[in-house]
Order: sequence, then structure tokens, then C-alpha cells
Amino acid sequence: MKTLFDKKTRKSMTITPEHCIGCRTCELACAFSHQAGAEFKPAKPRIYIRKTGEECFIPLVCLQCDEAACVSACLFGSMYKIEEAGTVEHDKDRCVGCLACLSACPFGNIVLDDDNFHVLKCDLCNGDPMCARFCPTEALTTG
Amino acid sequence: MVEFTIDGRKYKADKGEVILAVARRHGIFIPTLCFHDALEGWGACRMCMVEITKPSWDGWSKLVTACLFPVEQDLIISTTSERVTAVRKIVLDLLLARCPDSEVIRDFAAEYGVEETSFRPLDKKDNCILCGLCVRLCEMQGTSAIATINRGVEKMVDTPFNDPNPDCIGCLVCARNCPTGTIDFEETSRTRKIWGGSFDLNHCTVCGKAHITVSQAYFYAMKSGLPVEYYEECDECRRKETAKKFSDLLVES
Repeated sequence: MKTLFDKKTRKSMTITPEHCIGCRTCELACAFSHQAGAEFKPAKPRIYIRKTGEECFIPLVCLQCDEAACVSACLFGSMYKIEEAGTVEHDKDRCVGCLACLSACPFGNIVLDDDNFHVLKCDLCNGDPMCARFCPTEALTTG
Repeated sequence: MVEFTIDGRKYKADKGEVILAVARRHGIFIPTLCFHDALEGWGACRMCMVEITKPSWDGWSKLVTACLFPVEQDLIISTTSERVTAVRKIVLDLLLARCPDSEVIRDFAAEYGVEETSFRPLDKKDNCILCGLCVRLCEMQGTSAIATINRGVEKMVDTPFNDPNPDCIGCLVCARNCPTGTIDFEETSRTRKIWGGSFDLNHCTVCGKAHITVSQAYFYAMKSGLPVEYYEECDECRRKETAKKFSDLLVES
């Protein structure tokens, strides 16, 4: 998968919370598509649905900030911004598990895997987000 | 670009790239203990030894560390030759004499058929293999709280003069990345103890959960230029807050 990843193409995903029915299919699709090389952890997706008030559901996922707090917080160059693609990438091999990014993200969109102190973050599935593909109500759409 | 051979197959890479990086990229396994992707090679553990030769060397070959040796034109690299296995066996034999209690070293040695060390085991058993990975990571972070102290058989990793170091922020980067997992620390719900120092945990102002220490929060805020308030809340409370903000926006519109 990684070799097919074109770092120059712009990748994006649109979140429309009005359409979200809170079915959490995206959470499951995310956990399932990111299980490569590790065990399947349905409790550790990179996208979360939060219910606020009466039947108001908000999908929470990395917003790929232009001036990302996680990127400036990382002292080991493990989090970095790719300007052409517009994404914030996380290199898991370079990560040392200091949890600076996790604490710095103002939206709380970085997830901690407590088993091995790895941080998990949306990587937009190389331009084809699985959550968007499986979303039944188009609350998450590509492009 | 230079062209060379690893285990009988031809590969291309930029000049100056080390053997280990090329091998890892192409899925060729070379064992390492002291290597970390965030750092440059160091060549301390000697586990990544490979044999190299060239057609112009008339059958002569030498052993080098894959994490330090840059690839060259027409280089023939072998990662599994008899000489390589033999040298790795000796390294593991020596490591086993130093740290017979380390599970990582024992498993590694067993893979190469070394069950018991043939050397006289060290009187003072120690699971530290003195690879310096913790020291280098601490240095890269900018804290430099620990270093290798003393010389020869007395060499060890510790803070200067074995005293608690005010530069240490209790981040546990050293402990979490130690290849043999030998760095001790204690964590209670309030404090974290490592390298003789005690650190207060940075509790979330909403729910009280803590991921990092107070010193870590101040250090990261200083290094990244972010305000220290960024480190006040935990990820879950932040998510709650973000969801609340979004839903308020939705209700308004």
C-alpha cells in the first residue's frame, strides 16, 4: 500500500455532521482497514462519533491542520506536513512514544494505543478513506 | 544513483544511503538492537553486521555494520553468509555473558543457536547492553539528562554523579525505547519516578487523567512555541469539547 502512495496528489475528506446518524460504521471500517501488521482493535479507530445533546452526532477525525500543533510539538520529526497533499503524516517507525502530539492536539483527534504507546492518527487511507466509502448517509465524503 | 547486490538481487539507491535503510525498504531483514529510525546509525550493538565484497577485490571480503556503511557502486552484500552468522553468534555470546537474565537477548541468542554463554558470566549481572539508544534519544529531544558514565567495565548509563538530574522531564522515552527494557520506573496515580527523580503528573483539568508529566508539558511548550494551556486537557475531554463546539455551530446555523 505504501509504495502506491502518491505524496503529490491532494487528498481531502468532507465531514457533514448534519447527515450523520451515529451508526458508527466509520469507526469499524477504520479499525478494520488499519489492522495490517497488528491485531484488529475495534476500540481503537482513528475516527470517533460523539453524541452531543439530543440526537446530534459529530464525526471527529484529524483535520489535517495547516499549522498543526502536533507537528510543532513532535521533537523527533515523526509528525510532518506534506504541503502538496495537504495532509499531516505520522511516521510510526520514527515515533518514540513521548505523547507530545497527543497532548498538544487542540481537538483531541490523536488516539493513544495504550498497549504499546503508539499514537494513532487519520492518514486518509492513502487518498481513499474507508470511513467515507462505508458511510451510508454521506456524512463523510471524499473530495 | 548506485547499483549493488544484496543477497544475490540487484538494487538501486542514492549514493550515501546506508545498507540498513535500503534493506529495510526492500523488506530484507537485518537484526538490530540499538537502531531507531528517528536517529542516525550508531553501530553499538554489532547485530547488523553484514559481509561486503566487490568483483575487483579478488575474493577478499570484510564485515561492516549495515547501519553505518553507505552503499557503493558494484558492492556485493550478504546478510546471511556463514561469516555473518558466526560473528553475530559471537556478539550474542558476549551479550549473553553480560545480561543472562534479559529475555530479548536470550530469545535472540536462541535464534542463532546460542543457548548458554561460552564466556565467564559477569559477576555483576546487568540487562543494559550499553547501546546508548536511551542516551541518544534523550539528547535528540534536547533534554540530555542521561549519559554513559565511567569507563571500561564500570561503564553504565545514568545521570551525572548518579544524582537526580533537574534536566530530566520524566518523559519515559528512554524506558519505552530500551531494546532490553531494562530502565526501571515507577508510576502511581500522582507521580512518576525515574532516574532518582520524582515528577508530578500533568492531570487533565476536567477529568484528571494524565498522559505526561508537568515538566514534560512545560518543556514541550517551550520547545514547540505552543502555549502551555495546550497541554492542560486530555485527548478525550478535548474530543468532547470539539464535538460540543461543532454541534453549537450546527444548532446556530
